Amino acid sequence: MHRVNRWLGAAGWALLALFALGAALAPWIAPYDPRAMDTPMLGPSLSHLLGTNDIGQDVLSELLYGARFSLLVGCLAAGLSTVIGVGLGVLAGYYDRLGFAIMRLVDIFLAVPRFPLIVFLAAFLRPGFWTLVLFFTVFGWTKTTRLVRSQILSQRYNGYVEAAVAVGADDVRILVRHLLPGTLSVALVRFIVEFQHVILAESGLSFLGLGDPTVKSWGLMLRYAFEYPTVFISDVWVRWAAPPGLCITLVVLGLTLVSFSLESWTNPRLNGTTG
Amino acid sequence: MNDGGAKIIQYAITILVLLTLNFFLPRMMPGDPLAYLIGDPGADAPMLLTEEMRANLLDYYGLDRPLPAQYWDYLSGLAQGDLGWSIYYNAPVASVILGRLKWTLLLGGTSAVIYIALGIALGAFSAWRRGSRGDIGILLTVFSLGSWPPFFLGMVLIVFFSYRWRLFPIGGAQSAEAARLGGLFQVWDVLHHGFLPALALVLSYLPGIYLITRNSMLSVLGEDYVRTARSKGILESLVLLRHALPNALLPIVTTIAMRFGFMIMGTMFVEVVFAYPGMGTLIYEAGAARDYPLLQGAFLVTMVFVLMLNLAADLLYGWLDPRVRRTRATG
Repeated sequence: MHRVNRWLGAAGWALLALFALGAALAPWIAPYDPRAMDTPMLGPSLSHLLGTNDIGQDVLSELLYGARFSLLVGCLAAGLSTVIGVGLGVLAGYYDRLGFAIMRLVDIFLAVPRFPLIVFLAAFLRPGFWTLVLFFTVFGWTKTTRLVRSQILSQRYNGYVEAAVAVGADDVRILVRHLLPGTLSVALVRFIVEFQHVILAESGLSFLGLGDPTVKSWGLMLRYAFEYPTVFISDVWVRWAAPPGLCITLVVLGLTLVSFSLESWTNPRLNGTTG
Repeated sequence: MNDGGAKIIQYAITILVLLTLNFFLPRMMPGDPLAYLIGDPGADAPMLLTEEMRANLLDYYGLDRPLPAQYWDYLSGLAQGDLGWSIYYNAPVASVILGRLKWTLLLGGTSAVIYIALGIALGAFSAWRRGSRGDIGILLTVFSLGSWPPFFLGMVLIVFFSYRWRLFPIGGAQSAEAARLGGLFQVWDVLHHGFLPALALVLSYLPGIYLITRNSMLSVLGEDYVRTARSKGILESLVLLRHALPNALLPIVTTIAMRFGFMIMGTMFVEVVFAYPGMGTLIYEAGAARDYPLLQGAFLVTMVFVLMLNLAADLLYGWLDPRVRRTRATG
């Protein structure tokens, strides 16, 4: 089982690396400007590997630039919400009064069903890139805070923290040097789960037409393909709707595999003995 | 303060925050909500409003009155079930929503029961037979299925089952003919229409439940009391069902409760793909038509519904956890 875990984890990292590379290098490796128009509805050929869409844009180039948008929103929002979540969680675990206040805020945020709320806000505010990142960050930090706080609470009365207090270390040093490192594995798992949710939610919003209509994203590509009248009758969908859909699927799969292997690495109880 | 009281206060605050957001958001839009709704007269498609609709809208938003009075009117209207007037349907929002709610409950509810039950069963089996071929087989299948976004999965199902093999309808909840005839034929027709969207939802959300159950069962199976139960020589099935599963269920219930919002969003996507006439499609149409009163009403109903589910999960959690049950009984 350990071998299976490691193998799945490696496959996940490889998938993510592939997409990250494609997104980072998009301006150099994309064969066309994703907005440039050629003949519409071309089939796959050497000049257009995945053909063109209904207004003649190269599907492969659209995909590469779409990766940039989707991954960047996901990475930024998940990263920011994890940093905020860990920070508040550490403070909440170390200072009792502040912790009480923070946890009441967390309770309220956790009770709000955030995805329907984001759909609603998006329908009103028609978000762009930064607004999307803001939405997902504001509603994404709470679970991390809760987990990190309980981790800190369990570490706080350990011998090494009390020893640090005894030799006169100040709060900052105790928090940063002694307590923060113990939360990193939780933070990493949370980052990946959050990343996954943001990718799914962002592509869903774009698919509904509630994302940024001016930026190429996988969800938006799917939307245009889906709205094209005869897309499912012919085989056009295979090279137009399927690629962005598969890209989202593969990124989410990569994140699932990585988080799965991390989870059994950080939680040894999952590797416990069975009969 | 006891635990139940704190919970109720927390839910009350949450609902108040949502109501307030719902009240202020349209009023924060540039111009006033009416101007925003009607659009610039020079725009491509200015919204056409009859005098009557305009009066209805003005009456709903009450913009000529001071803000606190508007807020009070809004709350007291809500208390009487007044959700405002839909521009697109030219009908009360509440009645439009009522017509759609049953379909979402049918689709979302049925598939939720299926994926929760199936996910727990498969997850428990997988944990019990951990490392076996069966476990790894299910695990890999679940990984490859669970990564599909629900709307893309729905599209792929439509392509194969509806267009290519012509086994199921392309969309909708029932055919006009069946609705007219009623009876068993209508029941069959509704099931026939609902099958693919329900399949898309089950395939999308089964993996999450399965993984939580598997993890939770794995940690429980390593506990001393499970080893004790086994060493007593009782049946393996009793060890699983009596000793392991009840303890493993606690985190499963919490996680499911925390994901209700996520699942509701998935239902919305699937409804749109299958043109299923539920709340998701309604919210989508209201957004596209800029029918803000309808959007607000549908949002509010969805939120209250999710909050009620969360509250139910909280109560269930107390009932499932013997430690909580005992303190309630004695304290």
